[in-house]
Amino acid sequence: MALTAVYSISGIAVNHISDWNPNYQITKEFQSIPPIQGESREDIIRQALASLQLEEAPRNIFRPDPSTLQLFYNQKTISVDLPTGNVLIERTAQRRVLFEMNQLHLNRPKKLWTYIADLYAVALLVVAVTGLFVLKGKNGITGRGAWLTAIGVVIPIVYWIYYCRAN
Amino acid sequence: MLASVLLVSFAWSSGDPKQYGKPLTVKKATKVSEILANPEKFDGKRVLVEGPIVDVCAKRGCWIQIGSDKEFEMIQFKVEDGVIVFPMEAKGMKVRAEGILSVSTLTREQLIEQARHHAEEQGTLDQFNPESIKGPKKVIRLNGEGAVITK
Repeated sequence: MALTAVYSISGIAVNHISDWNPNYQITKEFQSIPPIQGESREDIIRQALASLQLEEAPRNIFRPDPSTLQLFYNQKTISVDLPTGNVLIERTAQRRVLFEMNQLHLNRPKKLWTYIADLYAVALLVVAVTGLFVLKGKNGITGRGAWLTAIGVVIPIVYWIYYCRAN
Repeated sequence: MLASVLLVSFAWSSGDPKQYGKPLTVKKATKVSEILANPEKFDGKRVLVEGPIVDVCAKRGCWIQIGSDKEFEMIQFKVEDGVIVFPMEAKGMKVRAEGILSVSTLTREQLIEQARHHAEEQGTLDQFNPESIKGPKKVIRLNGEGAVITK
Protein backbone atom coordinates (compact mmCIF):
# COMPACT_ATOMS: atom_id res chain seq x y z
CA MET A 1 0.00 0.00 0.00
CA ALA A 2 2.76 2.46 0.99
CA LEU A 3 4.76 1.86 -2.18
CA THR A 4 1.66 2.18 -4.34
CA ALA A 5 0.99 5.52 -2.66
CA VAL A 6 4.60 6.64 -3.24
CA TYR A 7 4.55 5.74 -6.93
CA SER A 8 1.07 7.07 -7.67
CA ILE A 9 1.36 10.38 -5.78
CA SER A 10 4.84 11.01 -7.14
CA GLY A 11 3.66 9.93 -10.59
CA ILE A 12 1.01 12.63 -10.65
CA ALA A 13 3.47 15.20 -9.26
CA VAL A 14 6.18 14.42 -11.80
CA ASN A 15 3.73 14.17 -14.73
CA HIS A 16 2.95 17.85 -14.28
CA ILE A 17 6.56 19.01 -14.06
CA SER A 18 5.98 21.54 -16.84
CA ASP A 19 3.42 23.30 -14.62
CA TRP A 20 5.24 23.29 -11.29
CA ASN A 21 8.37 22.18 -9.49
CA PRO A 22 7.51 18.88 -7.77
CA ASN A 23 10.70 18.78 -5.68
CA TYR A 24 11.34 22.31 -4.50
CA GLN A 25 9.39 25.26 -3.30
CA ILE A 26 11.09 28.42 -4.53
CA THR A 27 10.04 31.70 -3.01
CA LYS A 28 11.09 35.12 -4.25
CA GLU A 29 11.31 38.26 -2.20
CA PHE A 30 12.19 41.69 -3.50
CA GLN A 31 14.03 44.42 -1.63
CA SER A 32 15.60 47.71 -2.47
CA ILE A 33 18.92 49.10 -1.32
CA PRO A 34 20.87 52.17 -2.46
CA PRO A 35 22.65 51.70 -5.82
CA ILE A 36 26.19 50.36 -5.48
CA GLN A 37 29.15 51.88 -7.31
CA GLY A 38 32.30 50.26 -6.01
CA GLU A 39 35.78 50.70 -7.38
CA SER A 40 36.75 47.10 -6.84
CA ARG A 41 35.03 43.73 -6.43
CA GLU A 42 35.85 43.76 -2.71
CA ASP A 43 34.39 47.24 -2.33
CA ILE A 44 31.18 46.20 -4.11
CA ILE A 45 30.80 43.12 -1.92
CA ARG A 46 31.47 45.08 1.25
CA GLN A 47 28.87 47.71 0.32
CA ALA A 48 26.29 45.06 -0.58
CA LEU A 49 26.77 43.11 2.64
CA ALA A 50 26.52 46.33 4.65
CA SER A 51 23.38 47.56 2.86
CA LEU A 52 21.71 44.19 3.20
CA GLN A 53 22.81 44.01 6.87
CA LEU A 54 24.22 40.55 6.37
CA GLU A 55 26.60 39.44 9.08
CA GLU A 56 27.08 35.87 7.90
CA ALA A 57 29.69 35.44 5.16
CA PRO A 58 28.24 34.01 1.96
CA ARG A 59 29.17 30.50 0.89
CA ASN A 60 30.22 31.92 -2.47
CA ILE A 61 30.09 35.15 -4.45
CA PHE A 62 29.73 35.53 -8.21
CA ARG A 63 29.22 38.27 -10.76
CA PRO A 64 27.53 36.90 -13.90
CA ASP A 65 27.71 40.31 -15.55
CA PRO A 66 29.07 43.77 -14.64
CA SER A 67 25.75 44.94 -13.17
CA THR A 68 24.89 41.90 -11.03
CA LEU A 69 26.27 40.55 -7.78
CA GLN A 70 25.16 37.15 -6.52
CA LEU A 71 25.62 36.08 -2.92
CA PHE A 72 25.10 32.39 -2.19
CA TYR A 73 23.95 31.19 1.20
CA ASN A 74 22.58 27.85 2.32
CA GLN A 75 19.31 27.47 0.35
CA LYS A 76 19.25 31.19 -0.40
CA THR A 77 20.62 33.23 -3.30
CA ILE A 78 20.70 37.01 -3.18
CA SER A 79 21.00 38.81 -6.52
CA VAL A 80 21.76 42.51 -6.43
CA ASP A 81 21.29 44.71 -9.47
CA LEU A 82 24.10 47.13 -8.71
CA PRO A 83 23.02 50.21 -10.75
CA THR A 84 19.46 50.22 -9.35
CA GLY A 85 19.89 48.54 -5.98
CA ASN A 86 17.05 46.14 -6.73
CA VAL A 87 17.52 42.93 -4.77
CA LEU A 88 16.02 39.51 -5.42
CA ILE A 89 16.18 37.01 -2.58
CA GLU A 90 15.40 33.50 -3.77
CA ARG A 91 14.85 30.82 -1.16
CA THR A 92 14.75 27.14 -1.98
CA ALA A 93 13.22 24.47 0.21
CA GLN A 94 12.55 20.82 -0.49
CA ARG A 95 8.87 19.89 -0.58
CA ARG A 96 8.52 17.72 2.50
CA VAL A 97 7.62 14.05 1.90
CA LEU A 98 6.92 14.72 -1.80
CA PHE A 99 10.65 15.31 -2.41
CA GLU A 100 11.49 11.94 -0.83
CA MET A 101 8.66 10.23 -2.75
CA ASN A 102 9.96 11.63 -6.03
CA GLN A 103 13.50 10.53 -5.24
CA LEU A 104 12.30 6.97 -4.62
CA HIS A 105 9.98 6.97 -7.63
CA LEU A 106 12.77 8.12 -9.96
CA ASN A 107 15.26 5.75 -8.29
CA ARG A 108 17.72 8.42 -7.23
CA PRO A 109 19.13 6.26 -4.39
CA LYS A 110 19.94 3.52 -6.96
CA LYS A 111 21.87 0.57 -5.38
CA LEU A 112 19.55 -1.54 -3.18
CA TRP A 113 16.51 0.55 -4.06
CA THR A 114 16.74 -0.63 -7.67
CA TYR A 115 16.04 -4.20 -6.53
CA ILE A 116 13.31 -3.20 -4.10
CA ALA A 117 11.58 -1.30 -6.91
CA ASP A 118 12.02 -4.29 -9.27
CA LEU A 119 10.49 -6.59 -6.66
CA TYR A 120 7.55 -4.21 -6.25
CA ALA A 121 7.05 -4.08 -10.04
CA VAL A 122 7.04 -7.87 -10.28
CA ALA A 123 4.56 -8.06 -7.38
CA LEU A 124 2.28 -5.59 -9.19
CA LEU A 125 2.50 -7.71 -12.33
CA VAL A 126 1.56 -10.83 -10.37
CA VAL A 127 -1.42 -9.02 -8.82
CA ALA A 128 -2.50 -7.77 -12.27
CA VAL A 129 -2.23 -11.15 -13.99
CA THR A 130 -3.75 -13.26 -11.22
CA GLY A 131 -6.44 -10.59 -10.82
CA LEU A 132 -7.72 -11.51 -14.28
CA PHE A 133 -8.85 -14.88 -12.97
CA VAL A 134 -10.27 -13.93 -9.57
CA LEU A 135 -13.82 -13.36 -10.75
CA LYS A 136 -15.69 -16.24 -12.32
CA GLY A 137 -18.73 -16.34 -14.56
CA LYS A 138 -20.14 -13.45 -16.62
CA ASN A 139 -18.06 -10.82 -14.76
CA GLY A 140 -14.87 -12.85 -15.14
CA ILE A 141 -12.25 -12.97 -17.88
CA THR A 142 -14.62 -14.76 -20.24
CA GLY A 143 -17.28 -12.06 -19.88
CA ARG A 144 -17.11 -8.43 -18.72
CA GLY A 145 -13.51 -8.93 -17.63
CA ALA A 146 -12.48 -9.55 -21.23
CA TRP A 147 -13.92 -6.21 -22.31
CA LEU A 148 -12.27 -4.34 -19.44
CA THR A 149 -8.93 -6.02 -20.17
CA ALA A 150 -9.26 -5.19 -23.88
CA ILE A 151 -9.96 -1.53 -23.05
CA GLY A 152 -6.82 -1.48 -20.89
CA VAL A 153 -4.78 -2.81 -23.80
CA VAL A 154 -6.37 -0.61 -26.47
CA ILE A 155 -6.06 2.75 -24.68
CA PRO A 156 -2.21 2.91 -24.67
CA ILE A 157 -1.95 1.46 -28.20
CA VAL A 158 -4.44 3.95 -29.68
CA TYR A 159 -2.83 6.85 -27.84
CA TRP A 160 0.65 5.81 -29.00
CA ILE A 161 -0.52 5.69 -32.64
CA TYR A 162 -2.10 9.14 -32.23
CA TYR A 163 1.07 10.48 -30.59
CA CYS A 164 3.32 9.14 -33.37
CA ARG A 165 1.14 10.66 -36.08
CA ALA A 166 0.96 14.01 -34.28
CA ASN A 167 4.74 14.17 -33.94
CA MET B 1 10.90 3.08 3.28
CA LEU B 2 12.46 6.51 3.27
CA ALA B 3 15.57 5.33 5.05
CA SER B 4 17.78 5.22 1.99
CA VAL B 5 16.80 8.72 0.96
CA LEU B 6 17.31 9.97 4.51
CA LEU B 7 20.73 8.31 4.57
CA VAL B 8 21.63 10.10 1.35
CA SER B 9 20.46 13.38 2.90
CA PHE B 10 22.53 12.68 6.02
CA ALA B 11 25.64 11.93 3.98
CA TRP B 12 25.12 15.21 2.13
CA SER B 13 24.69 17.22 5.31
CA SER B 14 27.91 15.75 6.72
CA GLY B 15 29.90 18.01 4.38
CA ASP B 16 31.79 15.23 2.59
CA PRO B 17 32.41 15.62 -1.13
CA LYS B 18 29.55 14.05 -3.06
CA GLN B 19 30.11 12.14 -6.28
CA TYR B 20 27.66 12.45 -9.18
CA GLY B 21 27.83 10.13 -12.17
CA LYS B 22 31.09 8.50 -13.21
CA PRO B 23 34.31 8.91 -11.21
CA LEU B 24 36.61 11.68 -12.41
CA THR B 25 39.47 10.48 -14.59
CA VAL B 26 41.19 13.73 -15.63
CA LYS B 27 43.68 14.83 -12.99
CA LYS B 28 44.49 18.37 -14.07
CA ALA B 29 41.76 20.96 -14.28
CA THR B 30 41.54 23.35 -17.21
CA LYS B 31 40.57 26.92 -16.39
CA VAL B 32 37.07 27.86 -17.59
CA SER B 33 38.49 31.16 -18.85
CA GLU B 34 41.02 29.26 -20.94
CA ILE B 35 38.24 27.19 -22.54
CA LEU B 36 36.04 30.20 -23.22
CA ALA B 37 38.94 32.15 -24.72
CA ASN B 38 39.66 29.44 -27.28
CA PRO B 39 36.78 26.92 -27.32
CA GLU B 40 37.66 25.37 -30.70
CA LYS B 41 40.93 24.13 -29.21
CA PHE B 42 38.95 22.02 -26.72
CA ASP B 43 35.98 21.06 -28.93
CA GLY B 44 35.30 17.31 -28.57
CA LYS B 45 37.96 16.91 -25.89
CA ARG B 46 37.54 15.57 -22.37
CA VAL B 47 38.23 18.26 -19.79
CA LEU B 48 37.97 18.76 -16.06
CA VAL B 49 36.86 22.17 -14.82
CA GLU B 50 36.34 23.55 -11.34
CA GLY B 51 34.53 26.50 -9.90
CA PRO B 52 31.46 27.61 -7.99
CA ILE B 53 28.01 26.33 -8.98
CA VAL B 54 26.16 29.54 -9.79
CA ASP B 55 22.92 28.06 -11.11
CA VAL B 56 21.11 24.71 -11.13
CA CYS B 57 18.29 23.42 -13.33
CA ALA B 58 15.42 23.93 -10.90
CA LYS B 59 13.06 21.24 -12.10
CA ARG B 60 15.17 18.38 -13.36
CA GLY B 61 18.65 19.05 -11.99
CA CYS B 62 19.95 18.29 -15.48
CA TRP B 63 22.49 21.11 -15.73
CA ILE B 64 24.57 23.41 -13.63
CA GLN B 65 26.32 26.65 -14.50
CA ILE B 66 29.91 26.74 -13.32
CA GLY B 67 31.43 30.13 -12.62
CA SER B 68 34.72 30.91 -14.30
CA ASP B 69 37.98 31.90 -12.64
CA LYS B 70 37.39 35.26 -14.35
CA GLU B 71 34.43 37.51 -13.65
CA PHE B 72 31.37 37.64 -15.91
CA GLU B 73 32.02 34.19 -17.35
CA MET B 74 30.47 30.80 -16.80
CA ILE B 75 30.06 27.49 -18.58
CA GLN B 76 27.11 25.11 -18.68
CA PHE B 77 27.67 21.54 -17.54
CA LYS B 78 24.82 19.53 -19.07
CA VAL B 79 24.04 15.97 -18.06
CA GLU B 80 21.63 13.40 -19.41
CA ASP B 81 18.18 13.70 -17.81
CA GLY B 82 17.83 11.31 -14.92
CA VAL B 83 21.35 9.89 -15.14
CA ILE B 84 22.78 12.65 -12.94
CA VAL B 85 20.47 14.91 -10.97
CA PHE B 86 21.97 17.96 -9.31
CA PRO B 87 20.13 19.20 -6.23
CA MET B 88 19.16 22.85 -5.85
CA GLU B 89 21.11 22.85 -2.59
CA ALA B 90 24.31 22.67 -4.66
CA LYS B 91 23.98 26.33 -5.61
CA GLY B 92 27.01 28.20 -4.32
CA MET B 93 28.98 25.02 -3.63
CA LYS B 94 32.26 24.12 -5.35
CA VAL B 95 32.39 21.56 -8.10
CA ARG B 96 34.99 19.61 -10.03
CA ALA B 97 33.25 18.49 -13.20
CA GLU B 98 34.41 16.33 -16.09
CA GLY B 99 32.91 16.02 -19.54
CA ILE B 100 33.32 16.45 -23.27
CA LEU B 101 33.38 20.01 -24.56
CA SER B 102 30.94 20.86 -27.30
CA VAL B 103 31.00 23.99 -29.44
CA SER B 104 28.01 24.63 -31.69
CA THR B 105 26.36 27.54 -33.41
CA LEU B 106 22.64 27.96 -32.78
CA THR B 107 20.26 29.95 -34.95
CA ARG B 108 18.17 32.69 -33.38
CA GLU B 109 15.12 30.40 -33.49
CA GLN B 110 17.04 27.67 -31.68
CA LEU B 111 18.28 30.16 -29.10
CA ILE B 112 14.73 31.41 -28.50
CA GLU B 113 13.48 27.84 -28.04
CA GLN B 114 16.36 27.08 -25.69
CA ALA B 115 15.74 30.24 -23.68
CA ARG B 116 12.01 29.51 -23.48
CA HIS B 117 12.75 26.00 -22.19
CA HIS B 118 15.22 27.44 -19.69
CA ALA B 119 12.63 29.97 -18.48
CA GLU B 120 10.05 27.20 -18.09
CA GLU B 121 12.46 25.12 -16.01
CA GLN B 122 13.43 28.06 -13.82
CA GLY B 123 9.84 29.27 -13.41
CA THR B 124 10.61 32.63 -15.02
CA LEU B 125 8.45 32.28 -18.14
CA ASP B 126 6.57 35.47 -17.19
CA GLN B 127 9.81 37.43 -17.69
CA PHE B 128 10.72 35.70 -20.95
CA ASN B 129 11.19 38.15 -23.82
CA PRO B 130 12.11 36.57 -27.17
CA GLU B 131 12.83 40.01 -28.65
CA SER B 132 15.88 40.32 -26.41
CA ILE B 133 17.51 37.24 -27.93
CA LYS B 134 19.95 37.75 -30.74
CA GLY B 135 21.52 35.14 -32.95
CA PRO B 136 23.09 33.14 -34.42
CA LYS B 137 25.38 32.55 -31.46
CA LYS B 138 28.18 30.20 -30.56
CA VAL B 139 27.18 27.94 -27.65
CA ILE B 140 29.88 26.32 -25.56
CA ARG B 141 28.94 23.63 -23.11
CA LEU B 142 30.38 20.68 -21.33
CA ASN B 143 28.50 17.43 -21.82
CA GLY B 144 28.90 16.10 -18.33
CA GLU B 145 29.83 12.62 -17.24
CA GLY B 146 30.90 13.01 -13.64
CA ALA B 147 31.21 15.62 -10.93
CA VAL B 148 32.29 15.99 -7.33
CA ILE B 149 30.61 18.68 -5.26
CA THR B 150 31.95 20.03 -1.99
CA LYS B 151 30.46 22.60 0.33
